[in-house]
Amino acid sequence: MGIDQMTRRESLRRLFQLFCGLTASVPAQGAFKVLAATEKQPFLVEALGRTEGYSVKDLTKKMFESAGGINRFVSRGDVVVIKPNLSWSARPELAATTNPHVLEAVVEICAEAGASKIRIADNTIHDPRQCFALSGAGMVAKKTGAELVMPRSSLMKKMKIKGRRLDLWPVFVPLVEADKVINLPIAKHHSLSSLTLGMKNWIGGIGGRRWALHQDIHQSIVDLARFFRPTVTLIDAIRILTRNGPSGGSPDDVAARNTLILSDDQVAADAAASRLFQLDPEKLWFLKLGHKQGLGTYDQKRLVFKRVTL
Amino acid sequence: VKAKNLVRLRRTSQTFFLLLFLFLLSQTRLSQDLYLNYSPVFSSEQTLALDQPVTLFFQMDPLILISSLLSGHRLVEGSLWALGVLLLTLCLGRVFCGFICPLGTLHHMTGWFRPALDSEALVKANSRPAGRRIKYFLLILLLSAALLGLNLTGLLDPISFLFRSVALAILPGIGTGIRELVEILAASDARALNHMGRGIEYLVAPLFGYEYKAFQTAWFMGALFLIILFLNRIRPRFWCRTLCPLGALLGVCSRFTMFRLEKDSIKCTHCRLCTGVCQGAASPEPGSPWQNSECLMCLNCYDSCPEDALHFRFGLPSRANPGPDMGRRAVLGGLLAGISIPFLGTLDGQVHKVADARVIRPPGSLPEKEFLTLCQRCGLCMKVCPTNAINPSLSEAGMSGFWTPVLIMTLGYCQYNCTLCGSVCPTGAIRPISIKEKIEIPVRIGSAYVDRGRCLPWSGNGPCIVCEEHCPTSPKAVYLHEASLPGPDGTSLKVKLPYVDLKRCVGCGICENKCPVRGKPAIRVISAGESRSFENQILLDPYATQ
Repeated sequence: MGIDQMTRRESLRRLFQLFCGLTASVPAQGAFKVLAATEKQPFLVEALGRTEGYSVKDLTKKMFESAGGINRFVSRGDVVVIKPNLSWSARPELAATTNPHVLEAVVEICAEAGASKIRIADNTIHDPRQCFALSGAGMVAKKTGAELVMPRSSLMKKMKIKGRRLDLWPVFVPLVEADKVINLPIAKHHSLSSLTLGMKNWIGGIGGRRWALHQDIHQSIVDLARFFRPTVTLIDAIRILTRNGPSGGSPDDVAARNTLILSDDQVAADAAASRLFQLDPEKLWFLKLGHKQGLGTYDQKRLVFKRVTL
Repeated sequence: VKAKNLVRLRRTSQTFFLLLFLFLLSQTRLSQDLYLNYSPVFSSEQTLALDQPVTLFFQMDPLILISSLLSGHRLVEGSLWALGVLLLTLCLGRVFCGFICPLGTLHHMTGWFRPALDSEALVKANSRPAGRRIKYFLLILLLSAALLGLNLTGLLDPISFLFRSVALAILPGIGTGIRELVEILAASDARALNHMGRGIEYLVAPLFGYEYKAFQTAWFMGALFLIILFLNRIRPRFWCRTLCPLGALLGVCSRFTMFRLEKDSIKCTHCRLCTGVCQGAASPEPGSPWQNSECLMCLNCYDSCPEDALHFRFGLPSRANPGPDMGRRAVLGGLLAGISIPFLGTLDGQVHKVADARVIRPPGSLPEKEFLTLCQRCGLCMKVCPTNAINPSLSEAGMSGFWTPVLIMTLGYCQYNCTLCGSVCPTGAIRPISIKEKIEIPVRIGSAYVDRGRCLPWSGNGPCIVCEEHCPTSPKAVYLHEASLPGPDGTSLKVKLPYVDLKRCVGCGICENKCPVRGKPAIRVISAGESRSFENQILLDPYATQ
C-alpha cells in the first residue's frame, strides 16, 4: 500500500466520520446505531505463559490462532513491516526494548503466512547499530532473514500527519510503504504519559523534533496512532518496565508478566496492557482521547475478548 | 636488483600502504552490520568493538612512540611496530618516508600528477636546498616540549595530521554534500528520485555509514591540508623536506644506514638527471657527498642514471655518512621554543587553577595534565564516536589543548554503554574502559544542571520531561517533582519540574542533546564532577557509593 492510497483511505474515513456526526446530530439516532453495528467488532486476545519454560513462539502462535489465524492479517505475497520498540541500546533483560523472542516469533509466523518481505524498522534514540545489536533484533534478523532497516536520511520524508495537533512531520517511510503493519511495542513506565505502550510506540516512526511532542504528548500520541494505523498491535509484556522508564537500566526496574496482548484496536490493546500495571485506562489521558476521538475503545464489553494460556 | 624493479616496488608499496591507511581510516567506526555478528544471549558482558586494527599506523610511528615515552613516560601499545620502523631506518635509511608513509605518498602523487618544476628548475632548486633545517627545529621543539609535559607532536606528526585532515574534514565534507543531495531526493514526490536517493545512500554506506558527521574547526583542518598539498607546487614533497618532524627523526636515525648510494664519478657525465628527479634534495650527483638524512629513498636517481654511475648497495656503517644538516640555530631555537611553550600553555591557568566548564573529555580520559602528555589530537576518538559528540577543541582547552577532544553535547552525547573512544585511542590518553566499569563505578565526564529560566516547565511554559525521559542511569539522575506554577495567563499550571541528582549524574549529556530548547539548552553539562579530576569536584564526598 503506498502513501497515496493511505491518504485516500484517510479522506474516505474522514467523510464517513463527518457523515456519522451529521446523522447522529439529527434526531434519527437509530441510523447511526445501524451504521456502527455494521463495523466489525474489534477483538483482543490476551496470552499468558504460565508453565515454567514455556515457548514464547508457541504462545505467540496460539494467540494468533485464537484471533482467527495469521492469515486473517497477513496474506500471501504481502510486504509486512514490524515496528518493535528498539529505542535504547540495552540488553533484553533490562526490558527497555521489545523482547527478541517475541520479535522472532512474529517474523516466523509472518513468514509462514507467506509474506514476501518482512522488514523490521524503528527510528531509534541511541545509535541504531548498538540498539539493534544489544536488543537482540540483529540476531533475529540474521536468524530469520528479515530485513532490519537502519534509519537514514533517504528513508525520512515529510508527510501530512493530519492530526489534531501534528501536521507536517518527517516519517520513517518503511513504516508506511508496506501492505501490513504490525506494531510490536514493549510495555514500559513513562513519567509523562504514565506508560509507553502501542500508541506511543509510533513516536519511533517519525523523525524531526520529537522532543517537542511532550508539550502535548497525549494528542500527539493519538495523532500518530491514527496516522500509522497498524493492522494489529501486539504488546510484549513478557517483561515489563515498572519504573525508571522508558530507558530503564537496572534489572530491579523489571517485572515478569509473561503476557502478550494482541488486538486490532490500538486503544483496547493499550488499555489491556495498562491493567498489567494496575492502572485504570480511563485515567490515562491518551487512551481517553483515543476513545473519545473514535480511534478505538477501552470498553472491554465492546470487544471480542479471548484469553489463551500455555 | 634492477633499478626499474626497485622503483616499481616502491610505487607498489606506496599504493598498498596508502590504501591500507584509507581503509583503516574508513573502518574507524562501528560496522554497519555489527548487529548481525552480535548475540546478546551469549555475551552480556561483551563490549562492542571495531573489527580492524585501526591504530596500526599510529603504532608504526616512532615519533609517537618517543614523544609519549618522553612526556607521558608510557610505552604505547603495539610499540614493537615503531621499534621495527626505527630498526629499518637504522639499516636502510628513510624507507618509511619513501615506501610507507601515506602522507608522503600523497605528496609524491601530487608532485607526480602536476610537477612543480621541470627537471632543470629542480636541479637548481635541489642544489640550493633552503629551509630543510626547519624540520629539525620542529622536531627538537616538539620533543623538548614533550619532555616538559606538553605533547604537541600530533599537530605535525604526518600520521596524525593525515588522519585528522581526512577523517574530520575531507570525508565529512563529502558526506555533508551527499546528505544534502539525499535529503533533496527523499523529499521529492517522484518515486524514482526517492529510490535514487536510497540507492546512493546504500552505495556510500560502506564508507560513511548512515551518519554524516561534522566537526568544529573542520574548515581549518581542511584548508591546512589543502595548503600543505599545494606546497608541492613550490618543491616536490615540500612537507617531507621542510616540515615533517617524523622525517627529521628518521633522518637523524639514518646516520648509520647500511643501504647507501654509491657514486661512480668516473662513469658520471654530469648530466644532472639524477638531481632533476631527486625528491629530497639529497645530492645524488657524484662530486658532492650524498645527504643520507635528506634522502627519501625514492630511488629515482638510481633509476634515472643513464651511465650506470649510481648504485644503492649495502655497505658497512663504519664508513660514516654525513650527519643531518641541523645547524646550531635550529637546535638552540628548537630547544628554547620547546622549553617555553609548555609554560606559555599553562599561563591561562586552565591546568593548574580551574578547569574550563566546556572541557568535557571522553570517558576514561586521564587527568588533564597527563592527558596533554599523551593526546596526539589525531581524531580517532572523534571519528569513531557514534553520536558525533567528540569534537576537536578550538579554545575550550586553552592553547595547549588545541584540537584535543572535547564533547559538545549540542552535537552529540556520550552514549551510556558505549566505550569506543577509549578502545581506539592510540596512546592511552583515553584509557580503554569496559562498559561495566563505565556504568558501575561510574566513570563521570561532568555533571548536568538545569537552567530554570529557559526550562519549559520551570518557566511556566508547559510540560516537558524530555531530559528525565532520556536520562540513562537507574535510578535516574534527572528526577521530577510535581508542582503548580502560575502560567502566563496567571492560571495555575500543573507541571513536573526537573532536578539533577549530582550523586547519580554521569554527565553523559543526552539531556542537553535532546532538550527542546536548541542551541543553548535548558539543561547543560559542565566538566565539574568529572571522575578524572580530584580538584574539579562539587560534592564533599564525590566518590562515596550511593
